[in-house]
Amino acid sequence: MVKKAIWKSCLFLVIIGTILAAFSPLFTYKIDHRGKLLQGLYKSDDTYDVVLMGSSHMNGGIDPNVLWHEYGISSFNYATGGQPIDVTYYLLKEVLKKHKNPLVVVDVYYLGMTDPYGVSGFVSNALDNVHFSLNKVQAIHNCVPFDERLFYYFPMLKYHFRWSSLTQKDFTYDSASVYYAKGFGAGTSHYGKQDISYANTQKKDAIPPKTLSYLNKIIWLSKKENFPLLLINLPCDYTDSNKEDGWVNDCEAMFNTVADVAEKNGVAFLDLCDRMDEIGLDFSQDMNNAGHLNIWGAVKTSDYLGKYLKENYSLSDHRSESAYAQWNEDYKKSQAASVAGG
Amino acid sequence: MSFTSIQFLIFFPAVTILYFVIPQKARWAWLLAASYYFFMSWNPYYAILLAVSTVVTWTSGLLIGREDLRKRPNTVRRKKIWVALSVFVNIGILVVFKYLDFFCGLYAEILHIFGISAQAVQFDLLLPVGISFYTFQALSYTVDVYRGDIKPEKNLGKYALFVSFFPQLVAGPIEKSKDLLPQFDEVHTFDYDRARKGLLLMLWGYFQKTAVADRLATLVNTVYNSPQKYSGLEVAVATVFFAFQIYCDFAGYSNIAIGAAQVMGFRLTKNFDKPYFSKSIKEFWRRWHITLGAWFRDYLYIPLGGNRCSKWRHCLNLMIVFAVCGLWHGAAMTFVIWGLLHGVYQVIGLLTRPAKQRAEQKLGIRENSFPVRLYRAAATFVLVDFAWIFFRANSLWDATVLIGNLFRFNPAALWNGSLFSLGLAAPDFWAALLGIAAVTAADLLSRRRDLRQSLLNRGPVCRWAVYIAGTMVILIFGIYGPLQSPSQFIYFQF
Repeated sequence: MVKKAIWKSCLFLVIIGTILAAFSPLFTYKIDHRGKLLQGLYKSDDTYDVVLMGSSHMNGGIDPNVLWHEYGISSFNYATGGQPIDVTYYLLKEVLKKHKNPLVVVDVYYLGMTDPYGVSGFVSNALDNVHFSLNKVQAIHNCVPFDERLFYYFPMLKYHFRWSSLTQKDFTYDSASVYYAKGFGAGTSHYGKQDISYANTQKKDAIPPKTLSYLNKIIWLSKKENFPLLLINLPCDYTDSNKEDGWVNDCEAMFNTVADVAEKNGVAFLDLCDRMDEIGLDFSQDMNNAGHLNIWGAVKTSDYLGKYLKENYSLSDHRSESAYAQWNEDYKKSQAASVAGG
Repeated sequence: MSFTSIQFLIFFPAVTILYFVIPQKARWAWLLAASYYFFMSWNPYYAILLAVSTVVTWTSGLLIGREDLRKRPNTVRRKKIWVALSVFVNIGILVVFKYLDFFCGLYAEILHIFGISAQAVQFDLLLPVGISFYTFQALSYTVDVYRGDIKPEKNLGKYALFVSFFPQLVAGPIEKSKDLLPQFDEVHTFDYDRARKGLLLMLWGYFQKTAVADRLATLVNTVYNSPQKYSGLEVAVATVFFAFQIYCDFAGYSNIAIGAAQVMGFRLTKNFDKPYFSKSIKEFWRRWHITLGAWFRDYLYIPLGGNRCSKWRHCLNLMIVFAVCGLWHGAAMTFVIWGLLHGVYQVIGLLTRPAKQRAEQKLGIRENSFPVRLYRAAATFVLVDFAWIFFRANSLWDATVLIGNLFRFNPAALWNGSLFSLGLAAPDFWAALLGIAAVTAADLLSRRRDLRQSLLNRGPVCRWAVYIAGTMVILIFGIYGPLQSPSQFIYFQF
């Protein structure tokens, strides 16, 4: 009798779980982050020599189309807004399932987060678009509080209330429509203010324990999987970050520690906050807001990064390869979209 | 740990499976440990008060039992002393934690009326979850032992389980010791059909709570939290919605509690029996929160003399019982007025009954005819719903504003879309109405047959279709999850 009940309970849970898994994609928000991750992780057959990982700073800071057009570098920007470094680690593992030994560029801004877990909505934007696998289970287990985990295994449980606002787009969503941008998305505003936080300090502050452990995991992964790793910090005015709850009080000092950790482990670290003049950035004009580059700033920064990558890594120029013929069209489309947006 | 939390969805199967796996002798101890864990998940300190209430009432039971055995002179007097002490300690705890601020405020108000300026002292003690429920259940044990309805329980652990049994600990049903205590000595084997029935009842409870009550709450909260902004139709809709919100909230909780207990083999008392089909206020109280009504009847109304006294005394007894009943629900004048209103309804019903019966005879109205029953059910609903205004309003002033605004007729709200701007957009509004219709239909159908049994008699395809569709309806239309704001069960605050 008990066995019968347990067997039937399991069957019931499997049926419900299957329905939830089947309908979760329908209920998940069809934002660009979804489109780019589905394409970049699973659907596109392109291979990338460089993968760009991290938070919104990276998402709106480095444009793969510029890297392509100027240097023939094939790359994809997997960064999503508010992505904590632990999520970046698991997302990188997902990327590496398909792309072997690319140059991995990781935005380290979120090393400053002191809260144990990232903002649920931001974490969702990344993890909800990762297919079910052991890696996803580990990501949910480590990046999400216990009482929210079920909502990540079955995103429909999180978005069920959308039953009343589902549109045609939810049923016919085609992630390929956003692929041309290669994951890049920047704003078109001008911040209008100068960076008031920058100080060429030698002071060093500790990296919060959890984010440090994930930085070490990323470094360890680069050695295990044998891929070159470049840590990068994009231009930002830290004034607000330094005051924020759940964040370190002195970002500048923390990044000095990051430089030490990178050096100790033989990993390159490029702090672009220290190189704004070299890049030719005008903070007030090239930033969308205090923490994010706008499309004009992103072009300059991407160009600078492309040059740096070409000089420091062995990267092929794919521009004449037929396999990448579509990339030139994508570049034109991204330029047109930027012009329209600007 | 709320019934609607993920923790409970793990806790309950784990507790149940282990309950049937471990030896009979240890089962009560396992349930006791699980119940205290369940309770302490809100706040570990709550357990201290629960334990105090348990030890005091258990000790009082033993002392009363000892007096019966010794048969010394003044036995009755001594027994009464133990009852009084138990009542004093338990009601004392309840007063301190629930009513102290209210009584201090009332005292300051009274002084103010007499022109004496006094600042009300505020203690702001945290109200332990379910204190009114377990205190009443524990107290009933003392009185039952005193009356000889039950022998004193010698095993403190089993008695502690009676007070803390997790399915009904925080919001009832308030069980009588003679009904529940002996069940902890029963040998429960796993019964597949019983478990199915219990789980079905839980499923229905979850539907009532998450898909109906919490959706209605959105609109109710919008109107009741800004009473001056809304009039006529909006207040009327919110008030009708609240009638179903509180019903589905509390009946939903009770069904989950009764269903969970049933899965393990325990029989808890039915707490709701189609209350909105009542044809009088008196009948409403036999169908609404049945176990609380029975508690007040057995331990307050009858000791006061009940109806075996003069008519005026009978009326006074009714008013006392309903004033206390109102106060039991919350330390605020709104609850007292709500209780008194029900008392007034009953008193008017009592005093006008002879005249009404004579009029009906003269006019040849058949009491059991459908139009008369329909009229009475509708009239009773209107009276009950009017009283709910006081129950739900955030203050007496808000209640008066709402009642005033109720009569500011604004039929345009029917077509200008303003009903859809009260927190529920059109699809959600219609879903709310559908939820009310579903609950009403289920109540209607269950008057003639046992719906659960009817379903279980069907073939497996039909049964499984209902299980899966029912679960999916809750999962899609329920209000839960990190992106929505589910409400706490209303009765947890009492």
